[in-house]
Amino acid sequence: MEFDEVREYMPGDDVRSIDWNVTARTGFPHIKKFREERELTVLFVFDASSSGYFGAHGRFKSDLAAELCALLAFSAIKNNDKVGMIIFTDHIEMYIPPKKGRGHVLRLIREILAFEPTGHGTDIGMALEYLMRVTKRRAVVFLVSDFIDSNFDKPLRIANRKHDMIALKIADRREIEFQSAGILELEDAESGELFLVDTSSKRFQLEFASRVSREDARLKKRFDSMNLDLIRILTDEPYLMPLMAFFKRRGKRR
Amino acid sequence: MFRWAGMQISAFDLVDVTIPGWVFLLVGGLVIVALAVFYWRMHKHTTSSLRYSDIRMIKRVGAPGRGRYRVLLPILRLLAVGLLFVALARPQSGSQERELSTEGIDIVMVLDISGSMKAEDFQPNNRLFVAKEEIENFISKRVSDRIGLVVFARTAFTQCPLTLDYGVLSSFLRQVDFGIIDDGTAIGTALATAVNRLKDSKAKSKVIVLLTDGVNNSGEIDPLTAANIAKTFDMKVYTIGVGRPGNSQYTVDDPIFGKRVVYMANEIDEETLTQIAEETGGRYFRARSKDELGAIYDDIDSLEKTEIKVKQYVNYKELFPKFLLLGFVLLFAEAALSQTVLRKVP
Repeated sequence: MEFDEVREYMPGDDVRSIDWNVTARTGFPHIKKFREERELTVLFVFDASSSGYFGAHGRFKSDLAAELCALLAFSAIKNNDKVGMIIFTDHIEMYIPPKKGRGHVLRLIREILAFEPTGHGTDIGMALEYLMRVTKRRAVVFLVSDFIDSNFDKPLRIANRKHDMIALKIADRREIEFQSAGILELEDAESGELFLVDTSSKRFQLEFASRVSREDARLKKRFDSMNLDLIRILTDEPYLMPLMAFFKRRGKRR
Repeated sequence: MFRWAGMQISAFDLVDVTIPGWVFLLVGGLVIVALAVFYWRMHKHTTSSLRYSDIRMIKRVGAPGRGRYRVLLPILRLLAVGLLFVALARPQSGSQERELSTEGIDIVMVLDISGSMKAEDFQPNNRLFVAKEEIENFISKRVSDRIGLVVFARTAFTQCPLTLDYGVLSSFLRQVDFGIIDDGTAIGTALATAVNRLKDSKAKSKVIVLLTDGVNNSGEIDPLTAANIAKTFDMKVYTIGVGRPGNSQYTVDDPIFGKRVVYMANEIDEETLTQIAEETGGRYFRARSKDELGAIYDDIDSLEKTEIKVKQYVNYKELFPKFLLLGFVLLFAEAALSQTVLRKVP
């Protein structure tokens, strides 16, 4: 074990690692960090906002996201990597520091599945800033979200420079296109706002689909400009294919 | 006439309450206001909705379409509830029937048609003509009295029995003319005939109005005897003597000499007529001209004013079925619309 750094205490850190000397000198709790030899840290920045509790095809977006995290976490511990997680909504809900071991991954999954978020909104920027504060070491960061948010470009750019970022965009079919289903009363999962919409209107269906795909294309373009990888996964589609395709592509690039 | 009848609740002699209509209207009003406030304020909490991840894009692109008419549904429902409450309050429209009590008096007009009535002292025509005119006038002023007509000369007969049908009476009166009966003046018989007509009447007041211009000179009954009979039956006899004092002018159509004018003295047995009237509690009048005759009939008309009892019936017609029907139609329409054209998911 090699000494790594001394940094400010963050909730979730082990209290036993607090460096009392530095803490006494600065007046703020600090911890002493030690670096373990050659290993990758995998961090999940998990969006638990209310918009995830939506899904028209068998499962919620949040379920799919949890499944993806579990899959990736298990493959991470196979490589003897450390796995950590930040769960956020409009504030940080939970921080699980990176650790090794099968038990730790199982705890992680348990946390994701049983998690009851206290917030509703989404603030990706804030989550990334928190990420920058808690991890100084370069890590592989999976940002699992539906990206229903704005103004997170700057922190994302910074985080991407420091870490190896991969954006996993979870979406539902009904967020991309609408079929004729008569008059729907929709309630915004995050703000609770109600809106009555006539989905049988052809004009609406076309306009909605084209707008959404344009929006998605813009997001992709923004991420490309940051040199950030984006994987789109739909709740009603098998996710293995896009994931495998992505990692294959990544392997070639390396 | 319109009223809210409310509702009567009675069961096994234990409960017998009438809830007035306004209670239902008040309760209905309160319920509607409460429901309206509830619909308005609680819409967000009671409406069913689909959770959707992000409606901002939909708001930008979509429109409620037909769905915007869904605001009509609670209005329809409120209207239906209101109508049902209105029906509960039981509106009734009453058609007021002013039924005149037919318990008037019975009057028999006795008219002299003897030859002397041809005297032309009541301009513009002879006495009979004028008398008929005035009697018709008198009849037209009466309401709910049964009136009969007896004419007499040498004998007397009933031209029209007591009737309420003044149209028939008038037409019978118009048919009266000279020559129906042999000439003469049988006041007693006429009076007796009138009494005979009236004796079975159950009216409160029985009146005979006798018009003559002569002296009793035929018939088997003495006028005073007839008056006595009338008195026994509780009848009042008004007597009218017609004719100017002195001579009167007659036009006689002589088969040999043609039309000529004759003058004859007027002889009215005023004494007997007065006696008859006084005996029975009536009055004797003397008519010297058409106007006077008219005034006398007016007098009699006002003396014999019957107290007309106006019984007011209000016939109530139930209006609630219409409200009930309309209420149910609206309720049904609301249900149908909300499940078909304006159907919302979820």
